[in-house]
This record gives sequence, C-alpha cells and structure tokens, in this order.
Amino acid sequence: MSLLKPRFLTSQAGLGLVISLSILALALLGPWLAPHSPVALVGPRYGAPDASALLGYDYLGHDVWSRLLAGGFSLVWMAAAASLIALAVGTLIGMTAGFFRGRFDQATLWWADVFLAFPNLILVLLVVAMLGREPWLIVLIVAVAFLPGVIRLSRSVTLGIAQLEYIEASTMMGYSLPRILLREILPNIATPLLIHLGTMMSWAVGILAGLSFLGYGVEPPAADWGLMVNENRAGLQIQPYAVLAPAVLVALFALGTNLLAEGLGRANAGIKEKA
Amino acid sequence: MTSELSRRGFLINSAALGGSLLLGGGLTGGLLSACSNNSSPEPTALPTTPQYGGRLRLGIIDGSKTGDLDAHKPLTTGAIIRGFALYSKLWEWSEQMTPDLALAEEVDVNADASQWTIRLRQGLEFHNGKTITADDLIFSARRLSDPALASPYLAYLKWIDRDNLVKLDERTVRIPIKGGIGLLSLPDSWVNFGGIVPQDYHPVTNPVGAGPYKIKEFVPGQRSLFTRFENFYKTGKPYPDELEIIDFKDQTSRVAALLSGQIDMANALDPEQLIPLKRNPKVNVVISETHGWNSFDMNLSQAPFNDDRVRQAFRLLVDRQEIVQRALGGEGRVGNDIYSPLDPTFNHNIPQREYDLEQARSLLKQAGYDNDLKVTLTVGPGLTAVAGGSPAGLVLAEQAKKAGVTIKVTQVDAATFGGPQRNDWQFSTNSRLGGSFLHTAAMVDSPISSANKTHFDNARFSELFRQAISTTDLEKRKPLVHEAQQIQHAQGGLILWGFNNTLDAAGRHVGGLAPERSHFPTWRFDKLWLSS
Amino acid sequence: MESSSKLAGHWSASATQASDSGKRAGLTLALPAWLGWALKRIASSLLGIIVISMLVFAATQVLPSDPARTILGPEATEDAVQVFREKLGLDQPLIKQYWQWISRAAQGDWGHSIDSNMPVTQLIAGRVNNSLALVASVLVLIVPGSLIAGVFLALRRDGWLDRTLVASMIALKAIPSFAIAIGLVMLLATSVFSIFPAVSLLDPNRSAFAQPQFMILPALTLVVATMPYLVRLVRGAMIEVLDAEFITSARLRGLSKRVLIWQYAIPNAVIPAIQAIALTTSVLLGGVLVVEVVFTYPGIGSALNAAVDIRDIPVIQAIVVFLAASVMTVNLIADLATVLLTPRLRTRPGKEAA
Repeated sequence: MSLLKPRFLTSQAGLGLVISLSILALALLGPWLAPHSPVALVGPRYGAPDASALLGYDYLGHDVWSRLLAGGFSLVWMAAAASLIALAVGTLIGMTAGFFRGRFDQATLWWADVFLAFPNLILVLLVVAMLGREPWLIVLIVAVAFLPGVIRLSRSVTLGIAQLEYIEASTMMGYSLPRILLREILPNIATPLLIHLGTMMSWAVGILAGLSFLGYGVEPPAADWGLMVNENRAGLQIQPYAVLAPAVLVALFALGTNLLAEGLGRANAGIKEKA
Repeated sequence: MTSELSRRGFLINSAALGGSLLLGGGLTGGLLSACSNNSSPEPTALPTTPQYGGRLRLGIIDGSKTGDLDAHKPLTTGAIIRGFALYSKLWEWSEQMTPDLALAEEVDVNADASQWTIRLRQGLEFHNGKTITADDLIFSARRLSDPALASPYLAYLKWIDRDNLVKLDERTVRIPIKGGIGLLSLPDSWVNFGGIVPQDYHPVTNPVGAGPYKIKEFVPGQRSLFTRFENFYKTGKPYPDELEIIDFKDQTSRVAALLSGQIDMANALDPEQLIPLKRNPKVNVVISETHGWNSFDMNLSQAPFNDDRVRQAFRLLVDRQEIVQRALGGEGRVGNDIYSPLDPTFNHNIPQREYDLEQARSLLKQAGYDNDLKVTLTVGPGLTAVAGGSPAGLVLAEQAKKAGVTIKVTQVDAATFGGPQRNDWQFSTNSRLGGSFLHTAAMVDSPISSANKTHFDNARFSELFRQAISTTDLEKRKPLVHEAQQIQHAQGGLILWGFNNTLDAAGRHVGGLAPERSHFPTWRFDKLWLSS
Repeated sequence: MESSSKLAGHWSASATQASDSGKRAGLTLALPAWLGWALKRIASSLLGIIVISMLVFAATQVLPSDPARTILGPEATEDAVQVFREKLGLDQPLIKQYWQWISRAAQGDWGHSIDSNMPVTQLIAGRVNNSLALVASVLVLIVPGSLIAGVFLALRRDGWLDRTLVASMIALKAIPSFAIAIGLVMLLATSVFSIFPAVSLLDPNRSAFAQPQFMILPALTLVVATMPYLVRLVRGAMIEVLDAEFITSARLRGLSKRVLIWQYAIPNAVIPAIQAIALTTSVLLGGVLVVEVVFTYPGIGSALNAAVDIRDIPVIQAIVVFLAASVMTVNLIADLATVLLTPRLRTRPGKEAA
C-alpha cells in the first residue's frame, strides 16, 4: 500500500506523526510515571509549583503534573474509539450502499443527510445531557455523529471503483459479499478512509474537550485534559499552569492528528499525480 | 389570644434584635437593630453619604432556568432576587437573617402559633397607586397557598388555612393555621416569596407589588430593568433611578464584566475569584459569614446508613477543616452536624465532633465492614460546593480511603439531581441557605418536610418538632429544640461539615453594601446607591 | 474543533456529484430540470425535520427527569408537581403529546416554555436574531476574506508566506473554540488590553447590529475557528483548477495570466467554495453554542444549553428544529447554486447532488 512508501513521510505528516505518537506515549505511559495519584490531595489548592509538583496544584490540591500524565488516556482512547467505531460501521454501511446502490443507497443517504443537519456538538450535548455521561455513551454518540460523514465518503469512493472490471469479475465469479467488500473493495478505498480517520480524531478531541468545557464530559475526579481545563478555569489568574498545560496538550493532540491526516492526504495526492 | 406571653415569645424569638418588632415607626426598627448588632467594620475608603440617581446593575448567576416574576412562585434564585426589588413582604430579613417587620406594623401570634393576627402599616401603596388593604393581604395569602398555583413552597404553606382567613378591619387580617399545629416559622417562609400584591395581580401581565422598584422590562434569562418606586414605604428610598439585574451563565464571564465595568455588583462569587478581585483596587469584596450550610446526606432507609455505627463512623472520618479549606477555599467554618447556629434556641452545649479516624475504623469494623465498604455519593452539577457540586465530595472520597471506605462520586445534572429520584440517593450532597431551626427542619428532616433526603424519622424528634413549632414562648421552646438537636447530632443523617461565607463584590462606587450574617447584602435594593 | 466536522459531508458530496453525474445522463425534463429536483429536496428536508423532532422528543423522555419536578425544584410536594404536570400536559400519553406539539407547531404555535411560561416564539425570536446576526457578521468577514486569501495563497503556492500561513492555519484549526474564546478575552478584554467588552450584554430592545461592540469578540472567535478551513479549501480548489488541463492548454494558447485567473480559474474554484461556505454556515450554527456560553451572548446556542439542562422540551424542540431547518436550507441553496453554476449538471441534476 502506498502508505508504506517512505515518500509519504512528507515533513508535515512526519511532524504530525511525531506529535501524535508523543502524545500517545504520554497518554499511555503517563499513568505509570506520575509521581502522585491523580486524585490524591497533596498540596494547597491552586498552590504554586514546588519541588514535588512541577506544575503546581489545582483547584482542590491535586498535583497538576500527575493529573496531566494520567489525564491523556481517557481523551486518547475515547477519541480513538469514537473515530474507529464510526470508521468501521460507517465504512461497512457506505460500502454496502455504494455497492448495491438502488433503494438501500437512497435510504442510507437520506438518513445520513438528516443526521448531517444536526450540528455535531449539539447532537452529542443533547444525548449526553439526557442519558448521562458514561464514557462509553459519549464515545458511542460521538461515533454516531461522525457516521454520516464516513458513510458518504466510503459510499462515494466505493461507487467509483465498484464498476471497475476486476470487481465485476469477482461478482461474476460468485465470491461472497463479505469477501468482495472486505477483500476486493476495502483495500482500494483504504487511503481516503485512513486520512479521514485522522481528521475525525482531531474533531473528536475538539468535541470531547468542548463537552468537558460545557460540563457534560468525563466525570470528576477522573483526570482528563478537557475536564482539567474546565475545573481550573476560574483560577486561571492564580495558577495558570493548571489550565494552560492541559489546553496545550489537547491542542497538540488535535494538531498532531490533523497534520498527519493532512500530510497523508497530500502524499496520497502526490502519488496520484505521479501515477 | 393576643396574650402578653405570646407577644413576648415572638419578640424574643425574633432575635437578639435591639429594637422591638412591634415598633410602629417601621423604618427605624430594622435599621436601628441592624446598627446595634452588626459588628463587621465598615470599609473606610468607601463612599458614605448616599446619593440619588444612576442605574445600579447587578450581575447574577441563575443556572439554566430563566426564572419568572411571580411573587409567590419564584422558580429560581434570580426570581427571588427580582422579587426583592419588586415586592415588599410582611417581613424582611434582618442583617442577622431573622425576620423583621416590613409591611406589617404589628404581628400577634397566640401561644401555640395557630392564629396569626397581622396589621398592615397605614398608608401603604402599590406601584399602581392603589392603597394596600386587608383584602390585598388576604388575596396574597390565598394565592400563595393555592394548591393550583403549584408553588414549590407548598409543602410549607399548605398549613395556612386559606379558606378561613378573616378580615378584622381595613388593615388587619387573622390567619389561622390548620392541622392542629402551630406554624411558628411562618415569617421565615413568607419573607422570601410572600410579596403582597393587589387583587388584579398577574405575574406576567400585571406584576405589581410594593417593593422599592417597579418593573419596566423583563427578558427571561437575560435581564430585567426596574425603575424607582417614588412612593416606597421607606420614605426617601431607594436611591438609584434604575435597577438592572443581568443574568449570566458563567462565573468567569461575570467577573470579567465586573472588572470591565459592565456591571456594578456581582453576588455569590466562587472563592477562587476572590483572590484576583481582592487585589483589584477598583473592587470592594464583601464577605458575609452566613449560616448557609453544606452537608452530605446519608439515606437512613438504605444500607449501610441504616446502621447507627456506620453513620457515626462517617461523621468521624470527615476532616471538616480540610473540606472547608479545599472545597470552600477557606471561606467558611466547620459545622457540627446541626444547623441554624444563629437561632437563639440553638444548642451550643453539644461539643464539636472532631476528626477521629481510629474510632471511625473501629465503628466500621463493629458494623461488619473490613475495609470493604463501598458507597455511591451523588453530587449535583457544577464545581462549587455551595451549590452541592463535586468538590466537597471529591475531598471526602480521598478522606474516606484512609478509613477503608470507597466512595464513588457520581455527578448528575440539575434536572436529575432534583428530579424524581432526589430522595432516593444513597448518599448525596446538600447545600442550603441559613435560616431558623424550625424553618430549616421543616424543609429538611422534620415530619413535614417534602425533601427529606436522609429519611430521618425519629419518633421523639418528630414529637419535639411538633411541640416546638407550636410553642411561641422562647424559653419554653429552647429545651425542646436543644433535645431535638441532640437527637440529630447523635442519630441524624446529615454530615453537616461546614457553613459557607457569601462572597459578593462590587465596584467601589457602590454605597450601602456591607457584610451581614445574611446571604444577600447585594439584594438590599432599598439601601444600595451609586456615587458619581 | 467541531468546525471542520462537516468537511466529510462536503468532500463526499462533491465526490458524489462527480462520480454520479455521468451515469444519470438521459434524464431530462421539460421544465427546468432543477425545479423538480429542488421540490423533491424540499419535501425530503421537511420529512427530515419531522424525523429529527421525533428523535429529540423521544430523547427527552428517556431519563427519569421530570420537567415539572425540575422546574418546581426538589422541595415541591408531589401534589404540586402533579398539578403542574397536568397543567403542562405532561401526564398525557407520549404519542398524544407529540401529536399535539406537531399539529400546533404546524399552525405556528410552538407552545410555551415550561420554564418561563412565555410563548416559545416570543422567547427565541430575539435570540434567533442575535445568533443570525452573529453568524451573518462572521460570514461577511470570512467569505470574501477566505476567497481573497485562498486565491492569493494559491498563486504563491509553496512560497514561504504560503507555507507559514498554511502551517499556522492547521495549528489554529486544532485549537478548541472555547480555548480561542478564553484566549481572546484575556488578550483583548481583561488581562492584556481592555479594548472590547468581555461579555456580550446586548440590549434586547435594539438589533445586535446596532451594538457591534458586543459582537466583536464572539465573532472574532468564530472567525479564527472557521476561517482556516475555508481559506485552505479555496486555496486547494484554486490550485487544483490551476493545475487542470484546460488551464494548461489555455496558457499554451497564450492567454494572459490575468485573464486566466479571473475568467477561468476563479469561477471554477468558486464552485467547491459554495459547498464549503454552506458547510461553514452550518458549522457556525452549531459553533455558536460554546461561544455564546463563554460570552453570555443571548443567542439560541446558550438558550439551547439552558433548555437542555432543565428539559424545557418546547424550547429544545423549537431550537433544534430551527437549527436543522437552517442547515437544510443552507445546504439546499448551496446545492442549487452548485447545480446552476455548473454547466454539466444544469440539465441533468441527479438525486446525488443531495
């Protein structure tokens, strides 16, 4: 696949990859490196940085550095899970619709359009406010919000190749539907979908952080970057690190995934040009 | 029935007030008593001579509800604040948070508090120029207690015998209490939302009252604009020409508005905002040591809190001082699991419960828990302990770990927290304004409460409460309340860990704003003024 | 953040048009073909709005959160809540409630707010105007701005200015809008400079346009949050057109650069821009939520947030339906414009233009 060619590593995608991987590493390894428990009350509220707390203390007296290390995991897994679920389900629906066309296709498109008329954040907010803020529910509803986009994308790229000879050939050879969809079509539409995955990741980060900001995100006392921004916001003038540090990490993570998607897109376009 | 005894009882009940409640002069009554009791020093650099004119702008936070103007059914704190501008009541809060006479000139209550005789001041006027009469008082009392109004305070007001109100003369009405009990704390409950309104009153089309300001415009959820009522019963007041109350959704943006001069005052601030505000030379920060309290409510009808030993253990494992420091930012004082310390009947002899981890552990062990007790604490929305939000619960969860108890903190939104499940939480936060013992008990854990989250139901306590609420004589009531509080302290369901300060701030050009023991120095629209 | 999330819709929409347009040949109507298509689209949108309103209505009923109880507060007696519930009609069967709502809504009566008891239309009319004023001001700034900047950057493709700006736009796009808002408040209203009001206390009696000082910071936040996407899209479209064969051949024929750009490149780059503007508009309609909360801007976003919080169903319904209808209308107009501006689609617009 084109992704593996070294030239895909344009400087942009490379930078995106480095940033994303660093944040990922921080999020995954952080919980083990944290000097304190992220929920332990170890210092004065809004205490200034000192020897045992690099970034000072937050609104209750947690160590900001420890919370920072522990707080990436929820954001990363939720953003990743929501995007992957949307990608998997959406691709399946989109491919099926694009392959069969006809009524199923029309109905799918119509539903996708109905959902597209709902601004994402508002959809998520409505559901989370009504149904509660369990992480799996937030993940699920963010995924649902992303679905129409994935469906439309995978459908349209499927449409493009469904008429190609080799696909028609596999149909005539009587291959089963899953085989055609997964073995013949999917590999050929993977690149735009993977690029879209990167884009979705950065949207998910934005939505999840925005949700936390509005008070509907992850539940305290869990350490979570979005939540940290929200809960320490009132103390911005007293202890700015407690707000700025997680805000910077959220932005970096979104930036990394965004750059990666952009770079992949660009590299892909470049490859096409050459071909 | 208007015995000397009852008069005296009511007098003493109504405080450590220097003056007499039955003072005919009215205006002077409240002010005199306030001066003689308010020990908080007046900040010197502030303007002192009241000036007329200008528009006073108060920024409030009123949650998500938009509120209304209904005198008898204020659905939000904001609606109650607007009511303080728009309506005058029979009583008003003193600076000690006890009810003083306002529109009423004289209130007589019989010995068991089952008959209230109320006489209005002479020459009172509504905003529309109409004289206030006994008929308006009857209309207001009937509307207030009307089940069809569905007032949120009906639990309390349904005891008013609304079909048997008697007009004694043009200014005097007799209000009987039904159900064979007295209702000694009637003034406490009437004072917040018992505006006296004319008989053609309508909360939307004709919101007329006798408060210091008339409504000019009301945009729900955004702002309300009022103009000075020239014939306010406190002659010469209020001072500003206009009053504007502006709704904010966000604490941080409200502080920004105060700093940039878009509003003159902000009430009930978060503690973290005090630090930058105190440093700002343009801002006057007013800290009122209220007896508004914050608690964890243990549900006695569910395990493990149906076990006395577990309740005791929980009350001992709480490091109250730490919660006050962390969750209230130090703006408060520790509590002793009983409310209303400003009430003259409060039992000050009960020793403060101290933090005792060892004792808590051993009690839990006796109750059969060996480091394996798990409970769920449900907290309200938001990040302020004063609103029942998460911080106090999060601190408690950490403290409980030391006693081998796992507390899972679950945060729900306002609609769920106060919703149909509100009395079913196993363990939940609570936060309330200060008030007299009887009034608070009536709301919280007495047999007549409709929001008894603790399900506290003690036969002896109920009996004491019923007696106390029908006993006008303070000296006779004292021992009843003392014993009732002892029961609450020993067996009740509240972990009342602290009393919070009310934190207000205003530009230094706002006069008449000073700390009180009440929650609302910023709502005293008849006293506040602007210096040019 | 959310700003770009409809990009996929756009992307695939144009891809769809491209891939389908060939196959629908031969279907030509006597009337202007797009008219029938547009009517069908409108009908489909109406159906979509009804479905959305049903979904929202169902969602509000799921949790054990009783609006009557929520409004009256935890202290109200069960009797009082019951009385209030009956008054609001909440004791009726769900389907009946929905039917009553929609049949009245169809006649223009959107019910009363459970909370303030004001007619919903009256309650949100001013807020709708405020939000639309905000969105309109943002569009007025970003549409010409992005077109100019996009074309400008495309012509200087891969120059240092282009690379710097593209990189910084990618970075800006990554910042959540609430962070932008807080940053702008600190920079321009409170901590560094105090030029603009930090809070948008609009006078409800005057149009928002008459009080521009209150719109500056919210509008600026939305501009920063959405403009990078639009600029980059215009830039990309422009580059694509500049690289297209017909431009190359025109260049070979010796047409001047000016003519090439103004008569060939820009008109062709505008078509994808239309879809992107539609998309940005719908993103703005959703994006006002956070920004309005931060600035206490009295618009539909903050009203919706509040209404959701207290389950004020008539208000939620009205706002959601309004938002959905707006998004659908904007999309419809954009698709129509695309169809009318694209010669090859004008005579045979397929359903896939949807």
